[in-house]
Parts: sequence; structure tokens; C-alpha cells
Amino acid sequence: MARDNKSLNRRDVLKATGAVGTAGLAGLAGCTGGGGDDSGGGGGGGGDDEYPALGNFPIEGDTATFGFNVPQSGPYASEGEDELRAYQLAVKHLNEGGGWVDSQFDDLSGDGVLGYTIDHVDGDTATDADQARQSASGMIQRDDAIMISGGSSSAVAIAVQGLCQNEKVMFMCCLTHSNDTTGKDCVRYSFREMFNAYMTGQALAPVVRDAYGEDLQFYQLYADYSWGQTQQASMEQFMTDVAGWEQIESVATPLGTSDYSTYLSEAQSSGADVLILNHYGLDGANSMQQAIDAGIDEDMEILVPLYNRPMAEAAGGAIEGIYGTVAWDSQIDNTPSQEFTQAFRDEYDRTPSGPAQLAYAQTLQYAAAVERAGTFYPPEVIRQLEDYEYDNIGMGAETMRGCDHQAQRDVPVVQGLPASEQSEGTYFNIVNITSRDDLGYACDAGPAAECELGSYE
Amino acid sequence: MSEKDANPSAKDALVGGTLFGRWEKLRGREGTVVGITAILVAVFPYLFARAPVVSGFLQGYQSLATLILIWGIFAIGFDLLLGYTGLLSFGHAAFWGGAAYAAGIVAKNVSGDPIVMVVSGTLFAVLLAWVLGFLSLRRGGIYFSILTLAFAQMFYYMAASPLAFLTNGENGLTGVEVGSFLGVIHLEADVPSIGGMLLGTWLYAFVGVFFVGAVAVAYRILNSPYGMVFRAIRENEQRAEFVGLNVWRYKLMAFIISGGFAGVAGSLFTIHGAYVPLQSLFWTESGDIVVMTVLGGAGSMFGPVLGVGLYLYIENIVSTIQALTIPFTGIVLVRDFGFYWHLLLGVVFVVVVWVVPDGLWGILNRLRELAVDLGSKAAKRLRARSENGGGGQ
Amino acid sequence: MSLLSDVLVILLNGLQQGAIYVLLAVGLSIIVGTLKFVNFAHGALYLVGTYAGLFVALNVPLSNGKLAEWGFSSFGLDIGFFAALIFVPLFVFGVGLLMERYLARAFYDRPDTDQILVTFGLAIVVQELFRVLFGSNSLPFEQPERILSFGSFAGLPVSGPIALPIVGNFPQWRLWVIGITAVLVALVYLLVEYTDFGLVVRAGTRDAEMVRLLGIKITRPYIVVFGIGAALAGVAGVVGGPLNVVNPTIGTNILVPAFLTVVIGGVGSIAGAVLGGIVFGLTTAALVSFAPAWSQVGLYAIAAIVLLTRPQGLLGDEEVTP
Repeated sequence: MARDNKSLNRRDVLKATGAVGTAGLAGLAGCTGGGGDDSGGGGGGGGDDEYPALGNFPIEGDTATFGFNVPQSGPYASEGEDELRAYQLAVKHLNEGGGWVDSQFDDLSGDGVLGYTIDHVDGDTATDADQARQSASGMIQRDDAIMISGGSSSAVAIAVQGLCQNEKVMFMCCLTHSNDTTGKDCVRYSFREMFNAYMTGQALAPVVRDAYGEDLQFYQLYADYSWGQTQQASMEQFMTDVAGWEQIESVATPLGTSDYSTYLSEAQSSGADVLILNHYGLDGANSMQQAIDAGIDEDMEILVPLYNRPMAEAAGGAIEGIYGTVAWDSQIDNTPSQEFTQAFRDEYDRTPSGPAQLAYAQTLQYAAAVERAGTFYPPEVIRQLEDYEYDNIGMGAETMRGCDHQAQRDVPVVQGLPASEQSEGTYFNIVNITSRDDLGYACDAGPAAECELGSYE
Repeated sequence: MSEKDANPSAKDALVGGTLFGRWEKLRGREGTVVGITAILVAVFPYLFARAPVVSGFLQGYQSLATLILIWGIFAIGFDLLLGYTGLLSFGHAAFWGGAAYAAGIVAKNVSGDPIVMVVSGTLFAVLLAWVLGFLSLRRGGIYFSILTLAFAQMFYYMAASPLAFLTNGENGLTGVEVGSFLGVIHLEADVPSIGGMLLGTWLYAFVGVFFVGAVAVAYRILNSPYGMVFRAIRENEQRAEFVGLNVWRYKLMAFIISGGFAGVAGSLFTIHGAYVPLQSLFWTESGDIVVMTVLGGAGSMFGPVLGVGLYLYIENIVSTIQALTIPFTGIVLVRDFGFYWHLLLGVVFVVVVWVVPDGLWGILNRLRELAVDLGSKAAKRLRARSENGGGGQ
Repeated sequence: MSLLSDVLVILLNGLQQGAIYVLLAVGLSIIVGTLKFVNFAHGALYLVGTYAGLFVALNVPLSNGKLAEWGFSSFGLDIGFFAALIFVPLFVFGVGLLMERYLARAFYDRPDTDQILVTFGLAIVVQELFRVLFGSNSLPFEQPERILSFGSFAGLPVSGPIALPIVGNFPQWRLWVIGITAVLVALVYLLVEYTDFGLVVRAGTRDAEMVRLLGIKITRPYIVVFGIGAALAGVAGVVGGPLNVVNPTIGTNILVPAFLTVVIGGVGSIAGAVLGGIVFGLTTAALVSFAPAWSQVGLYAIAAIVLLTRPQGLLGDEEVTP
């Protein structure tokens, strides 16, 4: 694992010099929130004096700390490791220039942010909401993180963004696909670049209609928790409306099921033409593998709405020819994507995954918003991000919508490669990039209708 | 404190007027125990999260201090069952998580008053413990452990899906709004003046009061006839039965009491986080409390709290250390140290169970006794010498 | 689909899911019954078996964990599945012997609680060790195409779907799982019922003290019992591995249902473990068909009901309580 030692060095140095006392006191100031008005300290530049203390603002000293909260143990660890690489790359580029900082983000100088050097701490969520919150509160209270980023598993993102809203620290979502993240559980302090289950349904429907034809019958299995439920609802809606298919049945499978054989037998004998497996991660790898073993692919077409890399790794050749969506892929053919892939390869000698691009983009996006706002004061940064339009992260023209903090962007649709053509970092073949004009929903419709963002301060 | 601390008074007499002796006597009294606990609770967050040098070395922070007390309450209650009555439950997540959900659901639908939350969560846990205890205690030994495990898992799966309309399923219970205490004090806010420096937030103070209360109640129970019976059951169930005790009833009582403690802790956990994770009902949570209690020392009052502190400290702070260095030098002992924390914890746990069943607290106790022994020997020698000297003249 | 095929599918799926539980439960049950040792690390033996099977049968690329970091880019001998079926049980048998000698023996005279605690701790240690070495991501355990292929003999095809009458397509490997389990369980049953070794074991289950008084040295059969129990867990890992993805948590995940199987069937009874596993498998399969949302809840509820109404288990002996 290529972990950066910077954060650790900082701590050691502090420890050795005994300067930690001030860090401790700063922690106190940080967690008091709106309690006192100790905006004294060494605040310094960036117009800090104009704004009251809020969350971990103002920053003491001349270093701003980002907290990267990713799964380092548990089933998504390999995804988390790749995210962490991208975060560290982003920090490096922010401080020293390089990558998109030089080429795509005009707001960024490559010499820190607003004159502050960027430092980071990282934590392990273990893909467990409880653990993730503990880790995040450590970053906020002890390390005075000014921004937290992370995700992988919607439950984790939702749990942590709620905490960040309470603590008045900004959260930049990495991989979270549930409608709820920017729907009924949305918060003011969190922004999501990733598309959601709803948009996946919209993106897949026209592609599979063209591939398999109309007038088909489909059967769904879905993981019985919020992501699975919203995912199956979206698929039902769009496969019916857009593809003109008919749903025979949709069956819930308990989260964490390891044996799907009975569910699959039912699906197989239903007479449907298409089987949609609304499972993610390990559940997805298991159900897909078992469907192939049972020979379902001989009688039916299989769809997997959302792919990720650990799932592809675990399922091996079982993903061959199966349609799905991914966050981003290194084979996407445009300048920002190629630049990022190149920068990542130069640094780590690996191909970046979809979540890595999200992690990198979200970190720079936040930093650029701070530069535009001229301060780290969270409400101002939030206002800079709301309704911001951009075209520099490799997914075409995008808008970070103000009403629900959901990016309006294109969605890549892919097909799994056979085992013989897979290699490290390459598991899919890009079939289509569904344009954002064909996706999304209004602020008063779909998941956004349930979103109440909460207060700025 | 533990029953072992009630040392024969002969030793006291021997040591006589030494500091140790006075200390030994003092330790036994309820008022003293509670008083010392209160003082420790009051200075703990300061030392842990704010004091110069010390907190910098410990790398602690306020919300972890609160969390340690909350789990501490859970562990004290769990130990009443495991350490004192000898029953190993692998299903206490049901009471901890159940209370957390009950408190959260009440806060969302009825009232966010913290007291109301704690009362309703605890009440739920006690009722649940009554029912589950009634059923599980029909069997002993491993059957009891497995029955509690089966029941708790049942609740986990119920919360995960059939009851998701109440619990919000896998996403956890979000949007819990904790009201202010007595309608005036926001728990998130800091305690003013010196109190703020020591305690930090009102939330900590609130939890601290419950913690001290838990210690007082547990102490009272253990030194009552009830506590005696619990221990008798642990030592030899049959003998307790022969003496005419209704062993089953006492076991049920121990189970309900420990469920109640878990309920208080679970409710406080919801107040602390304004959120209930689904994992709070999963069986690994029951496993965690077992590990914490045994690590610290089952069968002693403060051992389990020590275990909680150690476990949470390792989980949240040691695990973020990337490389283990020799303090104040740059020499790296273990790279990627945080990567191994769970493994190390497992190894330590096995060693503790194997070699020192009374846990870290037992080790500390033995060290203390050793010191007392040495002290009394030294005192005796001194006295003997002076007597000899006197006789010579 | 017809009612008949419905029932048949539930039956097949139930047997197949139960088979892995049966293998684990038989091993667990003879250890608890004979040695009075409660082994919460039995799942860890399953974990060892699965990874060992993966190692012998295939060659899997490693991308995470310390082994990958130390430069091992792949892991495995790639000498086929049949070899795994032979070598892995032997290996895990050895692991079992070591465990009995150096761990269990020290705990025979200590309370159940201590046995549970120390083996629970051991299970954590083993799981974390695998996580450190192989990473916590899942590895694909591909089903063998064929087994027993030597020279010109192409071998028996075992993977992929097979068309069954009435039922339709069914994954072939799952039928093999049922078959292999049946053979192994029959072997253990014969061993225990019809050999001198089995006689000592059965007598030991009844009254260990009496056997010792009669002058029979009981240590050797004991260590062998532990070894056989472990080997069965190892086989379960090899056979069950290809049904799911493989990661370090599979051992802990399977422990709880395996234990429930033992307790439902009756501690110390091989027939009980088999019946328990089948009941468990069939219940799961039936609940999944009729009330999927309640399938997990129902499973634990049924376990609790059996334990409360028939505490000694379905086929358990009242006398044999650990």
C-alpha cells in the first residue's frame, strides 16, 4: 500500500516539539461550533475576519487539513485503497501543481489553497456506518479537518454527511449511488458528483432496448435495503416506460445473502426474458456468479445496474457481456479523462478506477470553490458550489444543482469483458455515454422532491 | 470494587497506620467509590482531549471520551451477568441496539427530550430482556449463549427489512433530533467556565452523570444479598439450588438488570450520535462487548470499563497510526501499524483468556497486592528493627 | 411452473444449502459430543479449508494484502480440484491435531465460557491473519470444469448447468456438493458406528470417566476425533468455496448457522447433525420461495422454537449435554 507519510510526520513532529498543546486547544475551539467567538488565533489571510467561527473555521495556522474517510478494511477495501491513492494525488497536485490543477482547474494555483498548504488525514470506515462516523468525528474534532470526503456504500455516506451537517464541516461524497443521498437524506453540507439509482435506470433503458429489442418481459431480484429498493423501483419505471418492457415479478433478497440459488430458480422458471440483478458489491458478485453457474444466461439476458471493481474482480469471467453502469472508466475518450489516467499511472503505475476519478475530482472541486469564495467559511463555499457549471472532469458539461446538491451529468453504460480480455484495471467495454439531456429529474420530481437541505449555518 | 478487594482485615491491622491501609479501608465504602469515580469522570476528558502534552501524546478527542463512558455503562451491566453470575450472552446487541432504536424512534415521533429518550430506550430494553431472558434461561451453558445469539440475530434481520419502515433499514435511523435538556441546555454546547475546560460539552456531563449513577447502582447491587447470590450461582449453581435459592429467578434478574444497563447505554448512544446504525443490532456488537469485558477483567467493577477504554482507544486512535515509531525518535518499528490493529487485539484477547482470566484489572490488582505486600513487609521489618533496638538498651 | 417442479426445486436447493451445514455440523457435533469442547473457531477451519482449496486447485491473481505487497502477484499450485479434495482435508486434519494438542487440551477442564471465549478469540485471529495476508477483497473461486481428468480420460464434467427432468436447468456443481457430502457423512458414520475407534468415541460421549476407569487410553481417539472434525470443515471449505466468492469473513459468517444446526439436530449425534442441516436448508429454501423478506428472521425463529420445545435437539440424547 502506498500510504503517504505526510500526515504522520506532521503528528510526530508536533509530538516531539510539544507544540501539540495548541493543537489540542484548537480542537476545543473547533468542536465548540458556534459556542464562542475565538476567531483570534493565527487565522491570517483569506478574509477570515469577515466571518464568524463555524465548525472548524477559521483554520488555525497555515495548513488546511482534509479528512479522507474510506474503507480500508472490509469487503470494499480495494476500492477504498484506490480512492485513497486518488485523494493523495489530489493533495499533491494542490500543493505542488500537476494533473488537472495545471490543465483543467483555472481557479487553482498549484501552490496550496488560498495560501494554505493542504494536509490530509485518512481513516478507515470498514464499510460500516458506525465505524465511519467515529472515524469522521475523530478527524473533525482532533485533526480539525475543514472538509471530509469519502463514501463507498450509501449507508456510510448518508451517516457521515448527517454528522458533517451537525458539525458544520463540508462533506464531498465519493461513491454513493442511492437516491436517498441527495433525496430524502440530503444535507446542505454535502455534494454528490456520482449519479444515482434513478439516473442509472434512465441511462440503461434505451441502451438495452436497442440491444435486446422491445416487448420483453423482465424479472428483478433486489437487495432488500434502501439502495436496492430505489434501484429496483427505478429499473421498473424506466424499463417499462422507456424500453417498453413488462415486469413479471420483483423479489427482495435479504442484504448479505450468500446463496441465491432458490431465488434464481424462481426467476428461471418465470419465463421472463431478462433478469435484472439489483445487487452491489459482494452480493452482486455472488448472485451474478451463481446465475451463470445455473445457466440462466443461456435462457435469459442479465442486467446489473451498477458495477464496481471489487465486484468485477470477485465475479471474474461471469460478467462477460452483461450490461451495467459505472462511475467513470479510464477508457473514456476525452482530454480530462486521459490526463487523469496518465497522472495516476505516472504516480502509482496502475489504472485508476471509477471511484478514484470521483475522489480526485471532488477534492479539486472543493478546493476550487474555496478559491472562488476567497474563504474557507463553509456557507460561502457551499454557495460557490451550488448551481456551479463545469466541464473539466471528463464527464462532459455538468451542473452541481443547488436544489438537491446532485450533479447533473452523463452516465457511462458498459458491458463486462470476458475473463481472457480482462486485465488489472480493465474489466469493461464502454458501450455508450448516455447524455445528461436524457437523464435526471426536476427539483420537484423524483428523489429531489423529498430533499430538504437544511441550514447554511 | 471486586470482591477480592475486601481483603482480610488482618492485613489492615498489620499495615496499621500506613497510607496503604487507610486507602484499603476507604476503597471499600460506597460513597468513596462513587466519589472517586465522579472525580475521574470529571478530569478524564480534560486529560484525554485538552491537557497540554498529555492529550497530545494520547491523541484523544472529546466525542471519544463520551463514547468510552457510554460503552462503559454497557460493560458494567454486561459484567454483572458474565463476570458475577457466570452467564455468557452473545445477544446483548439486541438490548443495546433495541434501546438505541427505541430512543431514536421516540425522539422522531414523540419527544426529543433526552430524559424521555433514555427512559423509553431503557424501558424497552428491560422489557425485551425480560422476554428473551425468560426464554433463553431455560437452557444453560452453550445453549444459553446460542439462544441469545439466535434471538438477537432475529432482531437484526427484522430491523434490516420487515421493520425498515420504522428503522430506515440499512441506512440507519437518520434525522434524529435531540432536544435540549430540561428545555434550556443544548447538549451540544460547552459547559461554561472551568466546567467547560474539564468536561467539555454538556453531553459529556449528561453521560457522565449516568455513568456515575451506573457505578453506584452496580456497587449497591453487588454488595447486597442479590450480589452474593449472583456470585454463589457463578461459583456453584447446584449448591446454590440446594440451599433453597430459586436460581432461575436470580439469573433472570441478573439478565434483566444487565439488559437495563445496556438500554441506558444504547439510548445514550443515540443521543450522542443523533443516529442509529443498523450494525448496532448485529451479533459482532455482542462480540465486541464480550471482548471488551473479558479483556478488562470480568468479575471486577472497573475492569470492564478499562477494557472498553482500551478497545475503543485502539480501534479509533491506534488504528490511525500509520507507522509505529519509538517515541520521540524517527525509528520505525512497524510500518502500516494501523493495518494490524484488529489482529493484535485478537492475539491479546486470546492470551488474556488463556493466561489471565481476570483480565487487565486482575494484573493491576496483583501488582497492587505485590506492592502492599512489599510495603507491609518493609513496615514489619522496620518495626522489628526498632523493637530490637529498644530491647537492647 | 407446476407444483411438482416447485417442490423439487425447493428440495434440491434445500439439500444443497444444507449440505455445507451438514459437513460443518457433523464435525462440530462429534467434537462437542465427545470432547465436550465448544469450538467457536470451527468457522475458521472452514476458512482455512477454502483458502487451501483455492491454493491447491487454482492460481488466483492477488492485488491486495501483504502477500501482494511482498511481491507475490498470484497464489496457487493450479493442480486441479481433485487434488484439492485429497490434500486439503489432510492438511486441515493436521491443523486440527495441532489445535487439539496445543489449545483444546488446555481447556478441557475449564468452563464452557472459557472455551467459547478462547476459540472466539482464535477465530478473530485467524480471520485477521488472512485479511492481512490476502487482503479483505473477495477472490473468485471458479468451479472446476471437470474432475478426475487423467491423460486421455477427459474427466467428468461438473460445472455449468445440467438439464434435469421436470426441474429444468440446475447448476451441476450443486448436485456434486450433495453427493460428496452424502459420501463423506456415510464414511464418518461407518467409522463411528462400526469400528473399535468409534466404540471408544461413543463410549466416551456417554461417560468419559468410566472409559478412563476401564483403562482405555482415551487421549489418542480424542485427538483423532478433533482431527476428523477439522478435516470435515476443511472439505466443506473446498466443496462450498466455489458456491460463493471467497473472503476472510466467510468463516465467521458460516459459524452461526453451523452452530444452530448442531444444536437443532442434537449435540453429539451424527444423524441429528444431518437432519438439522437438512431442516435448515429446506426451511431456508422454502421461506425464500414464499416469504423472502422474512427468510432470515424465520430461520432464527425456527431455531429458537426447536430449542425451546425440544432442548436436547431433534435427535439429541437427554444425557449428552456439554
